[in-house]
Amino acid sequence: MLVTRPLHVFLRHPANLRSSLVWQCIRDYHSYEHEAPFPFAPTEDAILSAALSHVPTHGFSINALTQGARDAGYLDISTNLFPTGAFSIVRYHLVSQRLALAKHASSLQPQVDITANIATLALHRLHANKPIIHRWQEALALLSTARHLATSIRELALLSDELLFLAGSTTVTSSWYTNRAALAAVYASAELFMTQDTSKGFVETEEFLTRRLEEGEKVRGGLDMFGKWVGMQAGGLVDGLRSKGIWV
Amino acid sequence: MAARSFFSQALHRPTPILEFLFPIFAVHRSRVRYASITTSSASPNTEPSPSSLDRSFSAKRRKPLSEKQRDFLDCALRVNQAGELAATLIYTHQTPPITRAHPHLRPIMHHMYSQEASHFSTFNEMLAKHRIRPTAMYPVWSAAASILGWGTGLMGREAAMACTEAVETEIGRHYNGQVRVLLGWVKEMEERGEEVGEEVRELVSTLKRIRDEELEHLDEAVGEGAREAKPYELLNRVIRSGCKGAIWISERV
Repeated sequence: MLVTRPLHVFLRHPANLRSSLVWQCIRDYHSYEHEAPFPFAPTEDAILSAALSHVPTHGFSINALTQGARDAGYLDISTNLFPTGAFSIVRYHLVSQRLALAKHASSLQPQVDITANIATLALHRLHANKPIIHRWQEALALLSTARHLATSIRELALLSDELLFLAGSTTVTSSWYTNRAALAAVYASAELFMTQDTSKGFVETEEFLTRRLEEGEKVRGGLDMFGKWVGMQAGGLVDGLRSKGIWV
Repeated sequence: MAARSFFSQALHRPTPILEFLFPIFAVHRSRVRYASITTSSASPNTEPSPSSLDRSFSAKRRKPLSEKQRDFLDCALRVNQAGELAATLIYTHQTPPITRAHPHLRPIMHHMYSQEASHFSTFNEMLAKHRIRPTAMYPVWSAAASILGWGTGLMGREAAMACTEAVETEIGRHYNGQVRVLLGWVKEMEERGEEVGEEVRELVSTLKRIRDEELEHLDEAVGEGAREAKPYELLNRVIRSGCKGAIWISERV
């Protein structure tokens, strides 16, 4: 989530700018007065979306990228626009599907049942993998290579943040971090489960996701209760001492 | 008025640090002063209030906030939330020992607490709305603020008030710096003939209101004998440098 750049890029910057580099990748102040620009240039967008349509046949490969460039009316050489090669198709899929979630979220009722909203949104996002699910293991392989690991973790963190924000979560205590980490873990495991799922309409994935979210909810509820219990005991102890006239 | 004059005095008080003995500290101090985005010694009296803060335009063009500006807001609002969290907890834990020893202070303590609680919820809403992450040091600040509040509460009325004075001095300075930066943006936008967005306008007025309330607390604390605290100088120094350190860290993590 933190360092998305190679070490030498980091070291090349003056020491006082490094901390801002580290945090740069984290989403900053979200303004409602201006739409955030789409992160891909029109050319990239055209080539990558065309390449994505070739993934079911060619897989996440340089071949799909070349086909995509041809479809979009560019020369084969224009794949040099993408130094990360096949991984750029994976990233395009992740980013564009994450941004597409916002449109779907308008049908939700925020603040009513956040867990239910999260489940709906996460399922919607998982279903976006349907057309390429038989190739998704290739994408997972690319995502887990050392070179791309930082980008994949960051993308997962951003997805988790997006899901929670769209579902209407307004927690800004330390559970901001734990909620995001837990949801990221649940989503990643559900995505992996889906690649092995042969049930009709991915019903089993849906059940898997719901079970994991429920478990998370239970753990969180338990921890909350425990925290409250400890607080009550401590408060009671202090009040007891005060009633005995001890100066605390 | 009294708070303001005290405030400017407090800022310009010479610091008897033996710089020739500890040159490392001297260099470090000056670096911190220039590097931090939120320190300012501007007096609220000289603060400009551009007319575009109250007016609303529709015909003029608008520009999105730059990345640097969004970064600034990100840091600033995160620090503000952490600060209000700490303030709320300090007052929460000071109140029982203080009101038991001095029942006449109950309304003041309650008044200060409820204002801090409302500031805290204001910043909580802003963070959630603008998708800013809270500081990662949240549990650390909670513990530190509770201990500080409880400890100074046990030390008595004067120590508690000295704690309030020190904290509010730093907080006032911090908000003042932010208001100044935001007013600088407003001025730039006006010069370029752009509309000042609703978000910035609202933020400036909220910050100004909150800063004035914090300075009121400072005034009340001095009125209640903050200066009579026994090791006043020590308490003041330690708490103020603690605040500065916490602000520095919260801006980053």
